[in-house]
Amino acid sequence: MGLCGLGFGLAQSPFLMSPAGLDFVHRHSPTTQKYLVETMGGGVALLDYNQDGLLDIFLVNGGRINDPVKLPVDFGREVPAYWNRLYRQNADHSFTDVTAAAGLSSGPNSYGMGVAVGDFDNDGFPDLYVTGYGPNALYRNNGRGGFTDVTAAAGVAAGGWSASAGFFDYDRDGSLDLFVTRYLDWSIDRNILCGTPFNAYCRPDKFAPVANVLYRNEGGGRFRDVSSLTGIAAVKGKALGVAFNDYDGDGFPDIFVANDGMEQYLFHNERGQRFKEVAMEAGVAFSDDGRTYAGMGVVFADYDRDGRPDVLVTNLALEKYALYRNEGGGRFRYTSLTTGLAALTARSSGWGVALEDFDNDGWRDVLVAQSHVLDNVAKINSGLRYLEPPLLLRGTGGRFQPVPLTDQAMAGRGLAVGDLDNDGVLDAVITVLGGRPVVMTGAPLIPAGAPPNWLTVKLTGTSSNRDGLGATVRVGDQMSYVTTAGSYLSASDRRVHFGFGRGLGSKGEQEVTVEINWPSGKKQILEHVPVNRLLDVKEPQ
Amino acid sequence: MILVCLLLLAQVSPELTQHVNAGLRAKQAGDLPTAIREFLKVAELAPALAAAHVNLGAVYYESRDYGHAIPALRKGLELNPELPGAHGMLGAALLAQGFAAEAIAHLEKGQSLDLLGVALLEVGRDREALDRLEASLQSRPNDPDLLYYLGRVHARLAQQVTDRMAAEFPTAARTVQLRAEARTAAGDQAGAVREFQAALKLRPDLHGVHLALGEIYLSAGDYPAAEKEFRAETELVPGSAVAAYQLGAVLLNLGDAGRAVKELERAEALKPGMPEALLALGRAQVATGASGAAEKNFLRVIEQERNSLLTEAAHFQLAQLYRQMGRTADADRQQTLFQKSRSQRQK
Repeated sequence: MGLCGLGFGLAQSPFLMSPAGLDFVHRHSPTTQKYLVETMGGGVALLDYNQDGLLDIFLVNGGRINDPVKLPVDFGREVPAYWNRLYRQNADHSFTDVTAAAGLSSGPNSYGMGVAVGDFDNDGFPDLYVTGYGPNALYRNNGRGGFTDVTAAAGVAAGGWSASAGFFDYDRDGSLDLFVTRYLDWSIDRNILCGTPFNAYCRPDKFAPVANVLYRNEGGGRFRDVSSLTGIAAVKGKALGVAFNDYDGDGFPDIFVANDGMEQYLFHNERGQRFKEVAMEAGVAFSDDGRTYAGMGVVFADYDRDGRPDVLVTNLALEKYALYRNEGGGRFRYTSLTTGLAALTARSSGWGVALEDFDNDGWRDVLVAQSHVLDNVAKINSGLRYLEPPLLLRGTGGRFQPVPLTDQAMAGRGLAVGDLDNDGVLDAVITVLGGRPVVMTGAPLIPAGAPPNWLTVKLTGTSSNRDGLGATVRVGDQMSYVTTAGSYLSASDRRVHFGFGRGLGSKGEQEVTVEINWPSGKKQILEHVPVNRLLDVKEPQ
Repeated sequence: MILVCLLLLAQVSPELTQHVNAGLRAKQAGDLPTAIREFLKVAELAPALAAAHVNLGAVYYESRDYGHAIPALRKGLELNPELPGAHGMLGAALLAQGFAAEAIAHLEKGQSLDLLGVALLEVGRDREALDRLEASLQSRPNDPDLLYYLGRVHARLAQQVTDRMAAEFPTAARTVQLRAEARTAAGDQAGAVREFQAALKLRPDLHGVHLALGEIYLSAGDYPAAEKEFRAETELVPGSAVAAYQLGAVLLNLGDAGRAVKELERAEALKPGMPEALLALGRAQVATGASGAAEKNFLRVIEQERNSLLTEAAHFQLAQLYRQMGRTADADRQQTLFQKSRSQRQK
């Protein structure tokens, strides 16, 4: 990321930036009652809401909680300190708070959690879906810099406690559908105290599981709850993260759901009609010792360049982040040990996660927003700590190596990825519970004088959904799936990014062939595509 | 019962016999207040009859009214020190009221080994207490009360040794090691690491210290540090199966399955059939592609362990392994067993 408009406010680490104008402070309202919701927010989205070519940042706030809470609960979301915030990126890469002007200062009386981004009405402008404890909200982007709350008309308020959500086109009808994870059967007016001799946030096993929600886009701004019809509601979970990809190559997007303290779920898409939960059979339900873990964030992408999407799930310290390599035939193998990931993450607790090529060497790297869930974990295990620095692991062709990112420990939660200044190097925004977000750039990883080659691809669907979500883009042996979902509570830029190192072939060619498989079924091949640029591709009619 | 037998030998009035029978009937019916009233009358009518007082004491004892049981039993034993059962009851009543020292003589006479052990423990005669409690355990091996007191006496004896070491050898390596172990038990991991390292400085050849350090590092997820300590322990104590197992397990977590297999095979050779080691060995063998050997080890875990977490893990491993081998029916069967075990445990 370039330096215009950016400062080194956080200093020391060249990876961390403080963009001018990005003055958001997350308010989570910690109490002595240890209401579980306090420690679980908040999300972030990178989207180009005004289609000026620059990514903007949307941040989800928590809410006000009295200690103890007074019923009926009022999260104070009308108070500016508790608003969600939209920051428009300016030409000099500084940011301006446009929340009020964009019509996003009001919303339901919910404690905010996450955000999903997708152009559900195919008008060319990305819309926002904001989740929380309480009703969720769908904001339609009117294309003139403003958003309108269309939740009621769309019928997507959900209720209960929602966490991550994502837009995808599960039935490939050209309209984006919406998947909403739901965490626990928990209520702030039925809070229980856990931990002795001091209060601590309760473990999820103290609460019953709940079903996730799948909304089918019916067109005309309306959605229909098809959770039962499609089999999604057949299993209840304690879901925090969700990611989409077509793991078995049948052309239909499948769903991975990260569950907290129980088995993980992999919903296989039965040709756009129903979903079947197959995690155990596929080998992704448990860690390799048959244990459950606290699944929080998840990413569904191909780390070993074999053309098949793999799964990475973040969890709590001593559990080891779970990496599952897709071996084909609908089977995965747990590879946290053999890739070195287990040894590198055994002491860490992770939330938001990305598997992207931050150094443009052609191998996907791992970036994780980290912190334990318990703010007093050190009292329970003196070997563990609450605040942690974000983790960056460089992918080196099947194994991972740590990169010293920063010593700055924080309560990282959400994480979204995108090239904020369009310089060909991916950046990321990490949210901090009760604090200011952190902007990270991969620029220091790029060797001066001999920058590696890259290509960013932006799709525009015609018969497919306008965002092209669900398309696969292949360049050589690299495969990317177009999605804004994944991570934890967050939505990343929908553009896909490829790094190629310093040469593309034996002669160091500067051109590549790009192969796109659209959700509509169309296949598009673009040859002799020059690299080091942003490639706009429209789906052929 | 004592009273009835003695009455047969004594010259008694019809009124006394009537009260004795009424007391016995009430006692049999569980009506203890009536039994007490009747036996009080018996003691009043026959104050020199030892059995009258003992039976009154016995009913008080049964009512858990130890305060009244004690004088009645004492009176009976004054009149006849050889009355069967009375000493044991008096000793138990005294112990229940906290008069352990006085109880001991009566419990000895009454041959109540378990209560005698408790009384001896209460007065600080720990070694004698240990003997009596161990002897009692022979006949009641699953008595939680007995096990509790046995645990207490062992802890006391251990504490006495620890106190002596601290007082007489405060700077000895073993004393420092003991302090480190106490810190580990108290959850002070940083303090424990300091003390263990201090112990090693004093005596680098101490057994168990590297192992303990490795376990602390392992519990904090620091695999490289744990590996270093486990390796040091295996070099110091090459015959330690536990050290070999721990080293193998941590190597597996570090992604070095090849070396993990070697260490876990060594652990298995040193102490055949350790289920934890077999399970880890099987996992390491899967990672190195030795599916057949892994299958055998998982099956051995299931043979040896019934309904444990290790069995559950072995079923899981077999389900995964069979699925990778294309043995779908076997995989389904193991998956069912794994899920059944999980659901039973969760209930």
